Amino acid sequence: MSSLVEMATIFLAPTDREAVLGDLAETGASGWNALGSVLGLVVRQQMELWRAWQPWVASSVAFAGSLLLLGVSFGLSVDSRHLLRGERGYGSVLCEALLMLLWAWTSGFVVGSLSGKTRWVSGILCAIPCLFCVLRFQDTSLSRLCVLLFLLPGVGGVVQGVRRARLSHRTALTLATAMTALMLVWGGGMYIRNWFLFLPAWWLVAHAERSELSN
Amino acid sequence: MLGEFEYVLITAAAGLGESAYGAAIREEIEKVAGRRCSIGGLYTTIERLEKKGMLKTWMGEATAQRGGRAKRMVRVTPKGMHAAKEFYEAMMRVSRNASWATSKPERAS
Repeated sequence: MSSLVEMATIFLAPTDREAVLGDLAETGASGWNALGSVLGLVVRQQMELWRAWQPWVASSVAFAGSLLLLGVSFGLSVDSRHLLRGERGYGSVLCEALLMLLWAWTSGFVVGSLSGKTRWVSGILCAIPCLFCVLRFQDTSLSRLCVLLFLLPGVGGVVQGVRRARLSHRTALTLATAMTALMLVWGGGMYIRNWFLFLPAWWLVAHAERSELSN
Repeated sequence: MLGEFEYVLITAAAGLGESAYGAAIREEIEKVAGRRCSIGGLYTTIERLEKKGMLKTWMGEATAQRGGRAKRMVRVTPKGMHAAKEFYEAMMRVSRNASWATSKPERAS
């Protein structure tokens, strides 16, 4: 049982683990009582995180973003096939690919910078539509993994978001402007749903501006 | 304003002074307030109060009694003391006409 209690403490920060295991040893708590105490703390700590707005926004971006980007990845795969057949121009497909990359990266960055300790929930919310889409994929001329093209830049964005928390105002503004310009140049993806993918980029601009003003 | 348990925790930590740490605060709350205090409730409240700047915590010494594990020491900051004093005074004001706070006989409902 004590090894089970030790295992349960892997969900705690190292300092919390040390303090809690010490407290349990000092008070002589063991068995189910000790396990219940540790799990109670883990659950409470997770619930405490959800009192802030950031995990909610991050989870929404992860879920809605992955839904939209699945479609964008599929569209890019189809257009790449058309390019190979000579039915599409390089410029258009390049714009589409760059946009997907930037959409995925900025969405990932926002998720990473806002989620913090709740990023596993964002990860699950991103994985559910991906799994559903891969399992239900029916186009036999394309690999079913083509819908997951956005995952790599998305994960890259999450990693950067966790490390850096925010972009400088200039970088964020350049990114958002470049993305908007690419969308206008491309012209092939003028669907209302695609404009939602700009929200993370412009949010990063607003956040960077606010942070610089408060400093 | 502080929550009730936050007030109890700050008061217990302040009373223990230099020897305030997780297990000691928990024992004090259970002994004095006569209520069960879970480890989960204790540490999440400590973290919340630390974020608000009302407590300061650091890792203390490890003892054999604790299986060689360090204590998480707690100190109430001036901001925490101020908040606790405000809570206490507010409770005093709110309670001034209550029968249990005065010697007046309780009014029948």
